[in-house]
Amino acid sequence: MNERYSPDDLMRFLDGEMSPDERARVEVEIGRSTELQRELAIYQGMRSDFLSLSFHPAEYHRSVWDQVNATVARPIGWLLIVVGITVWTAYGAYVFSASPLDPWEKLATGAVVIGVLTLLTSVIWERYREWGTDPYKDVYR
Amino acid sequence: MQAELERELIRMIKAGDTRFYEPLVRAYEPSGLRLAVAMMGNAEDAKDALQDAFVKTFNSLHRFDLSRPFGPWFFQILRNQCRDMLRSRKARFKVEPLDDRLEERAEDSELGPEQAHQRTTAKETLWKGLEQIGDEHREILVLKELQGFRYSEIAQILDIPEGTVASRLYHARHALKGALILLGVEYA
Repeated sequence: MNERYSPDDLMRFLDGEMSPDERARVEVEIGRSTELQRELAIYQGMRSDFLSLSFHPAEYHRSVWDQVNATVARPIGWLLIVVGITVWTAYGAYVFSASPLDPWEKLATGAVVIGVLTLLTSVIWERYREWGTDPYKDVYR
Repeated sequence: MQAELERELIRMIKAGDTRFYEPLVRAYEPSGLRLAVAMMGNAEDAKDALQDAFVKTFNSLHRFDLSRPFGPWFFQILRNQCRDMLRSRKARFKVEPLDDRLEERAEDSELGPEQAHQRTTAKETLWKGLEQIGDEHREILVLKELQGFRYSEIAQILDIPEGTVASRLYHARHALKGALILLGVEYA
């Protein structure tokens, strides 16, 4: 490589990243050095080989949009479900507590509901903890 | 896609309307796939990486600075996604048959049988050379030679100083040249 020009300069020249003045000076140097000419020719040849690659899979026709959309829309769906359930539960609890039922009926019904919710929560929590430590969670069939 | 249109779409998405994400995905899908295939080595892993990158981009849009261009920012996320996948046990840079990886260009069909064979062989050799150089070399070559990014954009995508790009490109091209020579390519 010519002492007055670093490999970086050759790259910037090849990639059109030089000002016209710099470019003119490098062109003069290249004209003087057969080593630089050879080096440049090699990289230009590699560039034209690159241009023959398209990197498009031949069978690729389906957009990834459907999968992306399904994934980005999912949290919104969950949020709406949680908000809806919370509102309905609160409203149901209010209606139930304000109803003219006997206190023992309210207590018994409340105990059943709280029991079911406690069991459901414990199962969900257990599954969540297992998922966090499952070494096979990234393995697909 | 025009920068102003992109900004407008991102403003709408930030305001909560996810429908406006679709034009962005469709606009960046072809070039994103090109980068992902070149980094992952096969279409299947590339599509997974691309899909995950679009989801991560969507989830990070609230942090996106509207005064900056969207493209380099997205490609930085995609590049990181590809690297994460390559590092993980899910994927390794694995090459699949040529027909699945490359589509025939229009001018290829106009070549004679011998020239077409030479072109195919040259593609295969280049691909094998890319396979043999490291991820860092491959990604910068792909960004420059296939995507045609300027140094400033490459610096942004790779998160390196602009002054380092030329040096990294030199080392990458030098490594590829060495790999191609080992594969039997002769340079006069």
